[in-house]
Amino acid sequence: MTVTTEAAPPRHSADEKLKAERMPFGRWMRLVGWRHVVAVIMVAWALFPALYIISLSLSGGNTLTSACPPDRSGLAALSCLVPNKIDFSNYSTLLSSDQYPFVTWMKNSLILATGSATGALLMGAAAAYAFSRMRFTGRRMGMLSLMLVQMFPAVLAITAVYLLLTRILDVFPAFGLGHIWGTLLIYLGTALGVNTFLMKGYFDTIPVDLDESARIDGAGHARIFFDLIMRLALPILVVVFFVSFQSTFNELPIASVTLSDSQNTTTAVGLASLVSNPLIQEWGLMAAGGVMMAVPLFTLFLFTQKSLVTGLTAGAVKG
Amino acid sequence: MATVELDKINKLYDNGFHAVHDLSINVDDGEFLVLVGPSGCGKSTALRMVAGLEDISTGELRIGGKRVNDVDPQGRDIAMVFQSYALYPHMSVADNMAYGLKLRHMPKDKINERVTKAADMLELTALLDRKPAQLSGGQRQRVAMGRSIVREPQVFLMDEPLSNLDAKLRVQMRAEISAVVRSLNTTTLYVTHDQTEAMTMGDRMAVLKAGILQQLGSPGECYDTPNNIFVAQFVGSPPMNLVTAKINQAGEGLELEFGGSKLAIPASVLADRPALKSYAGRTVALGVRSEDMEDASLRRNETGSTIKGTVNLTEALGSEIIVHFTFPGQAVVTADTKLVAEDAGGEELHVGVDKGVRWVASFAPRSRVRMGDDIEILVDVERVHYFDAETSEAIRG
Repeated sequence: MTVTTEAAPPRHSADEKLKAERMPFGRWMRLVGWRHVVAVIMVAWALFPALYIISLSLSGGNTLTSACPPDRSGLAALSCLVPNKIDFSNYSTLLSSDQYPFVTWMKNSLILATGSATGALLMGAAAAYAFSRMRFTGRRMGMLSLMLVQMFPAVLAITAVYLLLTRILDVFPAFGLGHIWGTLLIYLGTALGVNTFLMKGYFDTIPVDLDESARIDGAGHARIFFDLIMRLALPILVVVFFVSFQSTFNELPIASVTLSDSQNTTTAVGLASLVSNPLIQEWGLMAAGGVMMAVPLFTLFLFTQKSLVTGLTAGAVKG
Repeated sequence: MATVELDKINKLYDNGFHAVHDLSINVDDGEFLVLVGPSGCGKSTALRMVAGLEDISTGELRIGGKRVNDVDPQGRDIAMVFQSYALYPHMSVADNMAYGLKLRHMPKDKINERVTKAADMLELTALLDRKPAQLSGGQRQRVAMGRSIVREPQVFLMDEPLSNLDAKLRVQMRAEISAVVRSLNTTTLYVTHDQTEAMTMGDRMAVLKAGILQQLGSPGECYDTPNNIFVAQFVGSPPMNLVTAKINQAGEGLELEFGGSKLAIPASVLADRPALKSYAGRTVALGVRSEDMEDASLRRNETGSTIKGTVNLTEALGSEIIVHFTFPGQAVVTADTKLVAEDAGGEELHVGVDKGVRWVASFAPRSRVRMGDDIEILVDVERVHYFDAETSEAIRG
């Protein structure tokens, strides 16, 4: 009977095991290493435009090639991704320019993104609460049509939106064409579908026992919604807020129709207008604006990334 | 504190499922009433209707004499303990307990006073700042109790509060809940599928099957005089032993014949249950509790009233020996026995069909029976139960 080795292993066996498990390079490469290679390629791929823009914005020049002296060509040109000088003139020009009111653009973008993210969050959560917790006639139909409608991109409705906003301009100018509040309404409408679904899926995972317990404790729907559901669903709320914030902040096609006046438009439209005129293309300013535009999103992401990860996976699995 | 009256309560779902049929129960002030039955018998639905979480299809529900059919849960002055405990995960233990009082706009110092008192009672004081996720199952259970207690409601409702605990903790919490509820003297409705809980905790128990009340009475009544085969099998552990027996005329009296044995029915039993006479020549379902049997070799001076069987299994528990034995006979197989067997895990369903009938008896620890022995078992014929073979109802009167 040789059962002793399993029952009482020698002390140093752990070290030996470790040594034994260190695999040869070829095998390691085949099993694990290739993932690192892929990851490095992907990161380079993703970083290229970002680095290029940063380098260009700091070059002080105003053409697409100003980041790179003409003597560097071929693979050597890749070294231009590292800024070869630090010149903030593009930034200062953009921030002080009367022709391109970058500060107004940013203000508009932030108002629109915050407003539509908050609105989408509250309205979507309220709708999701109803779909998740209440049983009413038309519930199934409502969810199906919501899903159907959200399959069409919002841009499809651009003609209708244009006509609608033109008419509204005559009655409520603040909500009409060329004013951000009108655009905010359009954004809110487009943001509801996906978010409602995402949140409904998450709300479904919160046990109904909690609602019932709260009802017996004396809570009404509003209490249950704000005290329990909104607190417990925080990860998905963060996801919804972030996703709607960034999609509104970066949105171009709708804003370029509804806010076409470059003096009062969003950052995305404004920056596009910098390079859309074939005669005057301000690539340097565009790059500087692009870098500044990334700052709010980047900050928001840093603050929310923990919830983003849990929220997105939770939504993915249970939704 | 209040009475709870269920008056011909029905629950009919939209899909046509009739979950509760004409349920009428009067729960006295301060009484501990247990609703018990196998899963799907409508006991939880009944409780949820009392709580106001489900609409009552027809019938009337009165709490403290007042009709509350259309009153919201928060207006019924009840507190409920859920099977999942339903603690608010983002609130501390203290906040969990205080939440209901806060919603009722009770002054802060009074809330604190009540929470402290309840925490003392349930030994939760050290845990008041913790979140539910940091508590063990038993502690969560106590917080759920505490949340109900601080409300000082008219009625406690408990929906299988112990079923998420492990066996040992369950026994302990069973005693704790009983003690707490009795010290508060609050009317309590307690739902469980575990007949042991029902037997040990309740002042009275209501046995339900398929939404129909089978028997309402003290645990002793339900155990000693079950209304029908279902109650007989469901209440008590091990379940009552059953066999199909023929009642024969034997001179002046009657005798039972089953599995090759003949047992005379004592005159006292016949005097108690004159209805038995009309069953002469017919078959009945005969029920014997495990403790009403004894190893015949231990009682040499008593004769007659014995059956012969072969021992399949013995379980010596120290205080008694549980003996599983088989004898040739016809098992009683009805929808009820199947239901109970399924509820118990379905293992007993097939046993006995081809090998005769398998019974479980509890012998005195002095008994020397071993597996495989052919033994004689003494049956206490005074305490045998008789059921109509067709209706499953107990034969009485």
